[in-house]
Amino acid sequence: MTGSGRSAEPSLFAATLLVARKELVTSFRDRQTTLYTLVLPIVLYPFLFWCMIQASLFLEGRREHTETRLGLAARESDLVPPGLAESLARDPHAVNQAGASIQGSEPRADPAHGELNSLSVLPLRAPLSLGEACAWLARRTGSRPASAAIEEPDAVLYLSPAEDGGRGRAEVFYDSSSTRSRIALARVQSRMPVFVRDLRARAAAEVDPNVGALEPFRRDPPRNVAPQPAMGAYILSYILPLLFVIMAVMGAFFPAVDLTCGERERKTAETTLLLPVPRTAVHLGKILAVCAAALIATGLNLSALALSAEHLLRMLPANSTVQVDVPVRALLQVAPLLLLFAFFVSSVLTGVAALARTFKEGQALLGPVQILFVLPALAGALPGVQLTPLLASIPVVNVVLCFRGLLRGEPMPLEYGITAASLGALSIAAIGLSLWTLSREALLVSGSESSWRDLLGILRSPGSTR
Amino acid sequence: MSVESGAESLAIEAVGLRKVFVDPRRGAVEALCGLDLDCRRGEIYGLLGPNGAGKTTTLRVLATLLAPTSGTARVDGIDVATDPLEVRRRIGFLSGTTGLYPRLSPRETLSYFGRLHGLEPEELQRRTEAILDRFGMREYADARCESLSTGQRQRVSIARAVLHDPPVLILDEPTTGLDVLASSAMIEFIESRRAAGTCVLFSTHVLSEAERLCDRIGVIFRGRLLAAGTLPELSQRTGKRWLADVFLELVRRGGPDPASASSAGEGGGAS
Repeated sequence: MTGSGRSAEPSLFAATLLVARKELVTSFRDRQTTLYTLVLPIVLYPFLFWCMIQASLFLEGRREHTETRLGLAARESDLVPPGLAESLARDPHAVNQAGASIQGSEPRADPAHGELNSLSVLPLRAPLSLGEACAWLARRTGSRPASAAIEEPDAVLYLSPAEDGGRGRAEVFYDSSSTRSRIALARVQSRMPVFVRDLRARAAAEVDPNVGALEPFRRDPPRNVAPQPAMGAYILSYILPLLFVIMAVMGAFFPAVDLTCGERERKTAETTLLLPVPRTAVHLGKILAVCAAALIATGLNLSALALSAEHLLRMLPANSTVQVDVPVRALLQVAPLLLLFAFFVSSVLTGVAALARTFKEGQALLGPVQILFVLPALAGALPGVQLTPLLASIPVVNVVLCFRGLLRGEPMPLEYGITAASLGALSIAAIGLSLWTLSREALLVSGSESSWRDLLGILRSPGSTR
Repeated sequence: MSVESGAESLAIEAVGLRKVFVDPRRGAVEALCGLDLDCRRGEIYGLLGPNGAGKTTTLRVLATLLAPTSGTARVDGIDVATDPLEVRRRIGFLSGTTGLYPRLSPRETLSYFGRLHGLEPEELQRRTEAILDRFGMREYADARCESLSTGQRQRVSIARAVLHDPPVLILDEPTTGLDVLASSAMIEFIESRRAAGTCVLFSTHVLSEAERLCDRIGVIFRGRLLAAGTLPELSQRTGKRWLADVFLELVRRGGPDPASASSAGEGGGAS
């Protein structure tokens, strides 16, 4: 070899970086990897959030605009208290009573918004037996055509005397297979207590003008004293750690397959093994590239998710009370753990994918491995599970719980230390195992046949390449 | 590092080379059974043999892709078992399984290999430009390799193998799958290396190529080198005039049936 123009051969570290850079570049030039790692996170989350919110608004709007009819029936007509029909037809939550109407009376509607939460109460049918009341509802169809008989109710409120001579009974019949019937039931259930409360108050007032004695305290809804950012952090603590694990695994998936069995399929594996650098640098470069891809994918996913959530959640008035801030401090604290975890995931996926002969086989092999990561993450995301020193030594679960604790601002130096040590040790072990697998000579000479015996044969083969 | 005395003219030297593969189905398969081989500097050496004879395994061991089970092999004076990295720095290797990275351009490929070979940036630039001109690759230097024709890819592969100006070139069936024009270009390239003082060891099934190119020819069969020498020497030894007859005669002497031997030796990725 001529020595002119040559500097010293690159060090192990420099060679590893050179290989990793090339592998990362070529990996992101693959359409499949780019799609799953870069394009999907950027496009998917805004699109999904937009769709979810639009669907939610649409369904809520449809629900509010759905007109429902209630059939009022009684064993005897005098069982029906005065004012019941008017009270049920009135929406107690509406600022403007736009939707309240009683059949036969003048319909009230807001010309700008139409009738909202409308529950029309059909003229009373009495006397009527229980069976006849059921039959009245049973005549209706699931999707009521516009031309349907106006007497067909979506639900029936049936009043009957008590058998023991005590209080009367009020039963609601509805059809759970019909959306309209379920909406009618919900409206009756929300309005009946209001009517009963008013009835009780009127009755009490007749006996004693000091009605307040019956209900000395006004029962206000409970107040949440948690600061809005703390609520946001609490919500994020359940979502972010789990998403991180899933995204890291998904981000490493395609590069791991592409850089191992993908190389064999493309017949470039030998070209790579002929590189004039130590094989350790080549294999470490691959793991580093997979790890970088996983981190890039995770970063992009989380960023896209955060931006989408922050922007689009404001469109929902109900969610505007929760302030979701990016937890920068917690992210900085958890960053070393995430880096170790990314190395762990990348090493495992790369080592396993190296055993496959083709891209397709690699995907099939990594499927169960993905689940091995996601299941503990799901277990760690369960409410009530706290990070203990024992749990801090269990991979995946520890990173999820530690991340969750840091997001909530809980101090846990011992558990953090155990988690970091556990992840560090596991990462080193996984990298070692992955390097051992990648250097199996049998990977080069194995044929295109595929069986579990061949797979074990690769692992048991004595030869390794240096 | 090179051995300059005694065997100073030897670029490749293998003594008693053995390679045993462990096959999950068949158990141990001996692909090389004590192979002896020597190639001199500036020499073009052709390795002939039927399928499964051990040609590819020999070349892979010399290129450090496989580790020998026993025996010794030296390339440019460096032992392949003890210092495989230094061997890789001194060889250029081409085979049907050393494909190009499809998502890199020829220029990027040369840059990548050049940097890993430790070439200074200016020198790398100079060599890349020279090679692009020499092999007529400038037109597609920045296109991705996956978009190139077979002939164009072959040129890029050669360029990649000689970028660092290695003293030893190992080529495994370099013309297989190439059309007449590409094969002709490859043959011209191999001939050109003789003048540059490079040792070229290549395996082939095409006897006419061996006749035209080789200074010496080795016939390998069942993992052993049956004979080696110039064509006249082999003719004299076998009493046959044409290389095809020489080859068949040597294989006939080496085993019962070349056809059955051929199929028996295949498998496990070794040939």
